[in-house]
Parts: sequence; C-alpha cells; structure tokens
Amino acid sequence: MENSNSYSPYSSSSVDSTKPSLSVNLSLSLTFPSTSSQRATSQDWPPIKPRLRDTLKSLRLRQRGYNTALFIKVYMEGVPIGRKLDLSTFSGYESLLENLSGMFDTSVICGNRDRKHHVLTYQDKDGDWMMVGDIPWDMFLETVRRLKITRPERC
Amino acid sequence: MNYFPDEVIEHIFDFIASHKDRNSISLVSKSWHKIERCSRKRVFIGNCYAINPERLIERFPSLRSLTLKGKPHFADFNLVPHEWGGFVHPWIVALAKARVGLEELRLKRMVVSDESLELLSRSFSSFKSLVLVSCEGFTTDGLASVAANCRHLRELDLQENEIDDHRGQWLNCFPESSTALTSLNFSCLKGETNLAALERLVARSPNLESLKVNRAVPLDALTRLMSCAPQLVDLGVGSYENEPDQESFMKLMAAIKKCTELRSLSGFSEVAPLCLTAFYPICQNLTSLNLSYAAEIQGNHLIRFIQFCKRLQRLWILDSIGDKGLEVVASTCKELQELRVFPSDLHDEEDNDTAVTEIGLVAISAGCPKLHSILYFCKQMTNAALITVAKNCPNFIRFRLCILEPNKPDHTTSQSLDEGFGAIVQACKGLRRLSVSGLLTDKVFLYIGMYAEQLEMLSIAFAGDTDKGMLYVLNGCKKMRKLEIRDSPFGNAALLADVDKYRTMRSLWMSSCEVTLGGCKRLARNAPWLNVEIINENENNDVMERNEEDEREKVDRLYLYRTVVGARKDAPPCVTIL
Repeated sequence: MENSNSYSPYSSSSVDSTKPSLSVNLSLSLTFPSTSSQRATSQDWPPIKPRLRDTLKSLRLRQRGYNTALFIKVYMEGVPIGRKLDLSTFSGYESLLENLSGMFDTSVICGNRDRKHHVLTYQDKDGDWMMVGDIPWDMFLETVRRLKITRPERC
Repeated sequence: MNYFPDEVIEHIFDFIASHKDRNSISLVSKSWHKIERCSRKRVFIGNCYAINPERLIERFPSLRSLTLKGKPHFADFNLVPHEWGGFVHPWIVALAKARVGLEELRLKRMVVSDESLELLSRSFSSFKSLVLVSCEGFTTDGLASVAANCRHLRELDLQENEIDDHRGQWLNCFPESSTALTSLNFSCLKGETNLAALERLVARSPNLESLKVNRAVPLDALTRLMSCAPQLVDLGVGSYENEPDQESFMKLMAAIKKCTELRSLSGFSEVAPLCLTAFYPICQNLTSLNLSYAAEIQGNHLIRFIQFCKRLQRLWILDSIGDKGLEVVASTCKELQELRVFPSDLHDEEDNDTAVTEIGLVAISAGCPKLHSILYFCKQMTNAALITVAKNCPNFIRFRLCILEPNKPDHTTSQSLDEGFGAIVQACKGLRRLSVSGLLTDKVFLYIGMYAEQLEMLSIAFAGDTDKGMLYVLNGCKKMRKLEIRDSPFGNAALLADVDKYRTMRSLWMSSCEVTLGGCKRLARNAPWLNVEIINENENNDVMERNEEDEREKVDRLYLYRTVVGARKDAPPCVTIL
C-alpha cells in the first residue's frame, strides 16, 4: 500500500516550537489518506527514544556524506557584515578553523580560553552560545546554527 | 498473628519485599498498617503527582529507598513539552528537612537540577545509589557534587538522560577514599571524558561489577579499564569508528579474555565490525546483549557474533539483522527470554529487503520456548503470523508490535490485524503489557476487553473506529493501570462512560483523539479526585483566544491521573488543569 509522502523543506513539523527551525530540515511530514487528525510527524513516530533517534539521524548524515549543504552565518565580533559558510565541506574542526583563519585573515582557535587569539563560538539549536570543539564533529553539525569569532578578552 | 509482639511481626514483614504485597499487608488491620508503615524501607511511586513528599514521609518515616516517576510514557516520543513538570526538587527538600535516612533514589522521566543533586549529596550521609532514567535538567556539575559528597556511593547509573556536559571533570571529584563503587554508567554523556580520572577510579574500585562508558572512551582506554577490572559482569563500551590496528586489537582481545565474569554487553554506537569480533572469547558467557545503537554494523557481522551467544537471555538489536538473522537467533539462543528489535531506517529511505518481517517474528516464536517479552518494529505483518506466534508462545507477559506505517493492513490479505492480535490476547493469559499497531478496527478492542484479563498497560496508536473500541477496553480489562492512546477516533462518550474506572487506574493519556474541552470539563467536575490536564502547546497564550474557549473544541493532548493531593501548583502555561 503506497502512501504519499510530502516533503516540506521549510516547515518544521516538530512539536516543540521553542526550537528554531533547521536550515536543513531532515524531518519529513508523513500524511496518510485518513482524517486530518491522524498525522505522524518524524519527531514522534515511530515511537523510539531520543537517543536511538539521534543515532539513526547521525547515521543518515554520515551515509549521505554530507551531500546536503549546511550553510550557516559567520560573524567576526566588531564587524557588522558576516560571511556564509557551508559546513558540510569540512571534515572536522581543524579544517574549519584553517578556513576561518584564512577567511578572516587572523588566527582562529577553539577550545582554550586564550587571551591572545580569537576564539570560535557557536549558537546551538537551543539558542545557547557555546565554545566550539567540545562535542564530536557530527553532533556539532546537527546542532550548530551560527558561528561567532569572539574578541580574545570576552571569553 | 496479633498475639506476637510487634518486633516479631515486623521481622516477618521483612521477608515480604514486593510493593504489591506490602501494600496488601497494610490493609489487613490497623496494627498491621502501623507496623508495616513504620518498618517500610522501599517505596515505589508510579506518578509523582499522585501524592506529595510530606504525606509520604509522614506515613513511612523509615524510608531508605524511593522510586519516583514523573512524565507520562509518551514523553519519550516528544509528545510532552519539556517544561510539563515532574520536578524532583521539592521531594529532596522535604526528605532532607525531615532528616530521612535516604540511601537510594531512582527517578524516571523527572526534571532534576544541579541544585537538587547538590542538596541530595549534602543531605543524606548514608546515600548509596542514584539511578536516573530518561531525566533531564542537570549538568555534569550536579554529578560532580554527587561524586564529591556521597562518601558511601555504590551506584551511579545514568540511562538515556539529557545531560549538559561541561567537559568531564566530574570524574575527578570522586575522592581517593572512594572505593565502594559497584556500578557506574555514564554512557549517555555526550562530551569528553577525563580518561586518567576514570582509570584511577576503576583501579581503586575492586567491587565494580557494572561499567558503562560513553562514546568518548577510545579503544586503548577501554583496554586499560578492562585490564584493571577483570571482575566486570556488565560492560558498556564506547564508540570505535575506525578499525583498530593489529596491536591494539590483540591487546583488547587479551583484556577481554580475562573478563570471565562478563555476562552483559552494551554500547557499541558507531563500532567497526572488527571491534565486535574482539569479544568472541566471552560470547558464550553472555546472557544480555544490547547492540541497538550499533547502526553501522551490518547484518552478517551481527549474525556471526550472535552465533556464539548460546546463553543469551536478553537481546536488543536493530532490524538490520533481518529475518535471516532472527532465524539464526531462533536456532542459537534457546534461553532467550526478552527480544527487542528496533528500526534502523525511519523514513523508508533504503530500498532494502533486509529489514525484519513477520517471518522473523514467527521464527523466534518457534525457536525460543522461554520468550516472554518482545518489542518488535517491522514494516509488515500478517494475521496468520500472529496466530502462529500466539500458538508457539502462550507465555508472553509483554507483547509490543510496532508496524512502522500507521494503519497498514495484513499485507497478504489486505484485512485488518484484529484477528492476529485477538489470537495473542486469547492465548497469552498472563499478558500484562500490550502495544498494538497496523490497521485495526473496534473488533480488536472487543477481543482485548474479553481476553486480556491480566493486562495492566495498553498502548494504542492509529487504531479503532468508534467510542465502542475504547469502551470495550475500559469495561473489560479489570487490571488496567496505564492506558495511552494517540491518533484514534475515541471521544467523550468513551471518556465519560465510567468515571469510577479511573480510580483503579494510574493514568490515561489521549492525544489527537476526538475528546473535546467540554467532555474533559465534565469529567473533571464529576471526578474531583482526578487531575485532568489539557496540554495545548501550539496555543499562543493569547488571552483573547482563551476567552472564547469553545467547549466543542477538540483537545490536543489529555492526561489524567488519580491523586490524593489535588491539582499541582507547578504546571507551566501550556498545561491547564481542569
């Protein structure tokens, strides 16, 4: 029995409306040929726990070899005009930092709260600003929304 | 019995451990009630809002071990807003204030803060065991206080929690004098782990039987850990993406060989197949195997591994094992009692025929005579298969079948699966938990109401035609405790037919059904001993809209539960308690 799957790239069918919508929406909205009250979103069906859901999502990301582009905004603190960067083109934190250092013509690092260097921070899907580099790269890709290169003394 | 002094009766009661039995004893007479409550050490509270901490402490002053559950089960599937409730803090505050000699705390689906953990760690000098399952709201800072202050800590078990990881220094907080650990599980932590601190901790814990590390513990560290803890019974490994080099592999295998007591294995998220083979030496000793996160290991590797696990009693696996794999399980694992098969392809993206079907389920039922619990995610099912399974396995206690596509009929006859599930409930007289799926009419509920006499928990999704379905269940299942329903056409008539039924149940959940605000209001009026909660997350808290509440408006999510302490005061704006 075939069902029509409608892909809606920009509508977040997530039940939790406090989370900002993804720039790449990996959720599908499955609608079935019955009453409109019968809808399963990819966030609540099938009934599996968050940890398994995340594991399978990461697996999909890896299997696709990041074919889906992941453009996010990058700002340097003090500079009003930002840049856009496709994170899917980087293999990990090293290549990201290298590229950013080149793009902004300064030394950008992550992790250590160094008073001399520009430290890279990111805004995650909860809206919080975090230090780049703490979590595994795949996980970072799933949660990052934007990047900010801070002035050294701020951290 | 009443001619014995109280101490003797109390001593006799000591032998009665189960909560149900102790609850029964307390109903026999006033004196038994008193003796029982004063000597009761372990209390289980299935719904933290059914009672409050003050009354708990008043009744059970000798409390040592407390189990609390918060959010309803469907919270696991993102159906309950994060801020819904289930805060443990007031409980810890009350227990601390009353100087209860708390030794064990087990929480499920509750909100725990660092503040709560800090208070816990400072208030109970004999505290021994903390088990947190599917909880959230705390960080590794909270864990640090527990590690630092609970001098007698034996067990720290964190299962599937949402923990904000502040980078692994909490392990350093276990004092050097801490040598009593028997169980440490931090597999759900997402960040880096201080490996040196972990190794030192494991080295000085000779009684450590259960160790479950997180993904950030690399292979060489795991090898060292196992080398200094060959007494381990239960091991959860980390994540090993790359194939290990020859030397690392040999070292790992040598360490594993020494762990002759190892009976349970889990973890394995992103594990290269070679790492799995390192465990071959102890395969035949395993009684429990959880490979449900090993999404990258292909079916043939899984099969090769399981072929050696002849003593397996519990197996959690992904459907990538396929029907062929389940046939191997059926012929190898004759001691199997519990099987869970999880989906690996959520959006039907792979055009694979390797996922499990009814064939695998039938094979398992035929090959494993001791099977009593099953959770099975699959793409298709038939009535014939379910009828065969029922015949093969009349001993099921838990039967949960989830067909991934809602409303999917028997794929060979295009009929509903009423007869199949009917056969299950008729044959399995001891069935306590059931989840149904696929195309189902009211008839399946007629069967459930008629035959499922021991059923305590029922999960329904996308099933039924009319209110009759739900009524069959409410009228028939005398032992029903938890009923959870989503996306099914049950409405006010079913909800309101027998209000007193809810006195005998812990809770009822209904989401995306046909119940209206008016129906819920009427229920709340007729049953003041119930908390009737309406959850409307999509509402914009617009005062104007609220004033024009239409009683005919369908309720998005309804959660009702019996309580002796009335409406809770900590509900967020999206929850209305009628």
